[in-house]
Amino acid sequence: MTAPTHRRIITRLSTLLFGSLLLLLPAHAHAQVLVVANPGVAASAVSRAQLRDVFTGAASGIKGAAQVTPVLLKDGPTQDDFLGAYIGKSDTAFRAAWRSLLFSGQAVLPRTMDSDTEMVEYVAHTPGAIGYIAQTSPHPGVKILAVR
Amino acid sequence: MNRSSIARTLILILPVLAAAHLSAQSADDLNLQVHGYATQGFVYTNHNSWNSTDSEDGSAQWTEAVVNLSVQPTPKLRVGVQARYFLLGDYGDKIALDWAQLDYKVNEHFGIRAGDVKTPAGLFNESQDIDPAHLWSLLPQSVYPIASRDSLLHHFGGVIYGSVPLGERFGKLEYRGYGGARVIAGSDSVFQPLRDEGMTVPNGLRGPMYGATLRWQMPLPGLMLGATADVERPAGEIDMGPLQGTIQSARIVSPYFFGKYENSKLMLAAEYNRIPVSSTIQFPGLPAIPSPSDYRAFYVMGSYKIAPKLTAGAYYSSFMNRSAPVSSSRFQKDWTVSARYDFNSFLYAKAEQHFLDGTAIGFNASDNPNLQPTTRMTILKLGVSF
Repeated sequence: MTAPTHRRIITRLSTLLFGSLLLLLPAHAHAQVLVVANPGVAASAVSRAQLRDVFTGAASGIKGAAQVTPVLLKDGPTQDDFLGAYIGKSDTAFRAAWRSLLFSGQAVLPRTMDSDTEMVEYVAHTPGAIGYIAQTSPHPGVKILAVR
Repeated sequence: MNRSSIARTLILILPVLAAAHLSAQSADDLNLQVHGYATQGFVYTNHNSWNSTDSEDGSAQWTEAVVNLSVQPTPKLRVGVQARYFLLGDYGDKIALDWAQLDYKVNEHFGIRAGDVKTPAGLFNESQDIDPAHLWSLLPQSVYPIASRDSLLHHFGGVIYGSVPLGERFGKLEYRGYGGARVIAGSDSVFQPLRDEGMTVPNGLRGPMYGATLRWQMPLPGLMLGATADVERPAGEIDMGPLQGTIQSARIVSPYFFGKYENSKLMLAAEYNRIPVSSTIQFPGLPAIPSPSDYRAFYVMGSYKIAPKLTAGAYYSSFMNRSAPVSSSRFQKDWTVSARYDFNSFLYAKAEQHFLDGTAIGFNASDNPNLQPTTRMTILKLGVSF
């Protein structure tokens, strides 16, 4: 094997390895979403792990609130931002996972809202509800949970 | 009706009675949900008939429809029932109960479900027959054979479940413990090798079973390692022409080891499973016939979301019955590439290509008098869920 060929192979392998490592990095980009909760939820913050567990059906409470109910948004940029920043799943994989829980008898599906306005309205009037909206959306009647 | 049939009937009716009792409340109070899905598959093989379909000519004898009814009157209590129409070649073609259960979750650490419940073994067993949940038209057949609906999917009894936090540095441990009775209908594909030998199991097999699964959700988000130990002891009657005898297995202890990594668009998974079976067939006045099997299976798989609506993946699956005589019917190696396109939240299509070496799974001797050792199989599937 000639030296240039050898270098080319090493370069390609390095690129491939670096690309693979990038894929493995968790998505911790700053999210353009707000996590909102019913004012009765006795928590002011939630950890990323708790948020992920609640929105994937693995847990039904967060620290300070033993029982919360996740509420989803339909497909769209806010949904993608939320899933990318906190859940680590694509929308397809996220919905497939919920269907898996539903049809295997492990959960019922969370409610899905059509818009941020509808989300805010529902969360404001539903005890224990927790959802997410775009950072720029008005949010009267709900509390904002800090994500740590 | 014998005692076990009565008990089973009661188990099935219980959730319905509970739902009826709760129906005095409004549907909104109960959080009543009705969901379902339906799929239509088309399969073509270059030779060899797959799972009793006429796949050599192209076959659409692969249809499923599922209806799910669930209520959650309180955050801790759920009641649900699911029915399924299943047709694959000569298998199924009837509506059967998938599961019917009561689920009470005390807290994050402990919950219990009872009735006809899914068996939480391995990585995908609870969801193996839920087509909308997967990229694949067929999960690796070495561990999750599609034509066998009774041998591992569900049991009559219960499941306890929960999770134990291990701290931020160590993640979380999830557990499932299960037990009850397994009933395998005589028409299940697991008996196909016996049928090929001229024997039938008219009333199926039944027996006690129990097991446990641990899943370690590791500190790296999306990474999980797990293991299952499944214990079964099936027994029943067996016919061969005019002869009527019994078939009994020694205790079958099956381990599963599995792992999964999921992050945004990428999914990687692998699983190993072993099922050592030591059965004895006994006809009156004849010497006992030992029927040992030692199934060893594993797969590795990966998928990637290429575009917002398009996901693609590949897996390699391997199966070997180490007790069987050396031939192409004792093993199967399967290279598979697959793609799924989601038109919207409800409608999707799948395309899958299998390159199969060996005929151990899905290729019955009785359907394939000229069985070839290798097969190429193409699958197209359309699904809708709501």
